[in-house]
Amino acid sequence: MDKIDQIELFDFLLKNKVENFIGVPDSTMKHFIHRGLEKNKIIISTREEEAIGIATGMTLAGSKSLVFMQNAGFGNSISTITSLVQMYKIPLIFIIGWRGFLSSDAPEHLLFGKIQPDILKLLGIKTKILDSKTWKKSAEWALKNIEKGNMCALIIRREFHD
Amino acid sequence: MIKKKAIEEICLKNNNAIIVSANGFISRDLFESFDKPDNFYMIGSMGLASSIGLGIATKCPKRKIFIFDGDGNILMNLGSLVTIGFLKPNNLVHFIFDNSSHESTGGQPTMSSKIELEKIAMVTNYKTFKIKTLNELQELLIKLKTISGPVLVLVKVKNNSKISKRVEYEPEQIKEQFMNSIRENN
Repeated sequence: MDKIDQIELFDFLLKNKVENFIGVPDSTMKHFIHRGLEKNKIIISTREEEAIGIATGMTLAGSKSLVFMQNAGFGNSISTITSLVQMYKIPLIFIIGWRGFLSSDAPEHLLFGKIQPDILKLLGIKTKILDSKTWKKSAEWALKNIEKGNMCALIIRREFHD
Repeated sequence: MIKKKAIEEICLKNNNAIIVSANGFISRDLFESFDKPDNFYMIGSMGLASSIGLGIATKCPKRKIFIFDGDGNILMNLGSLVTIGFLKPNNLVHFIFDNSSHESTGGQPTMSSKIELEKIAMVTNYKTFKIKTLNELQELLIKLKTISGPVLVLVKVKNNSKISKRVEYEPEQIKEQFMNSIRENN
């Protein structure tokens, strides 16, 4: 997902009435977040679980919401996902940055990057990996999921080094 | 003051407030003493009642939002005080029922016996109050009607002698009745 794709993804979700974008930043999706900041639609929380809590409150009040985080933060959030989002069936879109996708990524990301697909599967989270050619279809799929009352996750792979 | 008595007093004087209650005995006390559709009983996700309340407060600006938190709960999510103070929802009142213990897990001590939580909230833009008696609580509840939030009320409490019953609704039912009530009254 290059810069243009990430900007278009944000605009597409906003146009489709996702009103709140709450999370902890990840460089993998920095263009997505910067676009949201320009549009004044982003809340940066202190931790990922907090972001999920705020987004849950907004959803309970009838306002469509999305949370974004790096996979390290997704790891922090597992109990919040099972005992809040899944237990109450809160329809939220997660965008998760996949650090450790490349085996040459920084060492702190390698183990989690490797086990991330299995963890998503174990949790039973419906997931699509975003790429330049199919991101719009995946975003439409995510919007349909929350319309039906389900949570789901969109994954952005970390395909570069900095 | 006994925790359940404080909860009853707050609810009786504010029956129109949306309430988000922390997991454990606080949700059980609220359910037993003042059940209503726009109570959100957070029965898992310890620490997050204040974050859920913040999300609701920003989207329901015409309603009063009360958070019923515990000392153990807020200590797990102190960052929430920063986020609430930054976003400054004027309709949010954050009660912390402080018994300096994790009552629901067997009464293990928390660090609120030596750390004044209301002082932390003060530097994150809350208006703060500390309450020890029923009289003080009754006076504050009148005053609160004219104070703009975010407000933090630290209520020093003693544990109930009897444990309240568990919340009897299924989680999805809690959500559905809460969302329906918000939709009808927002």
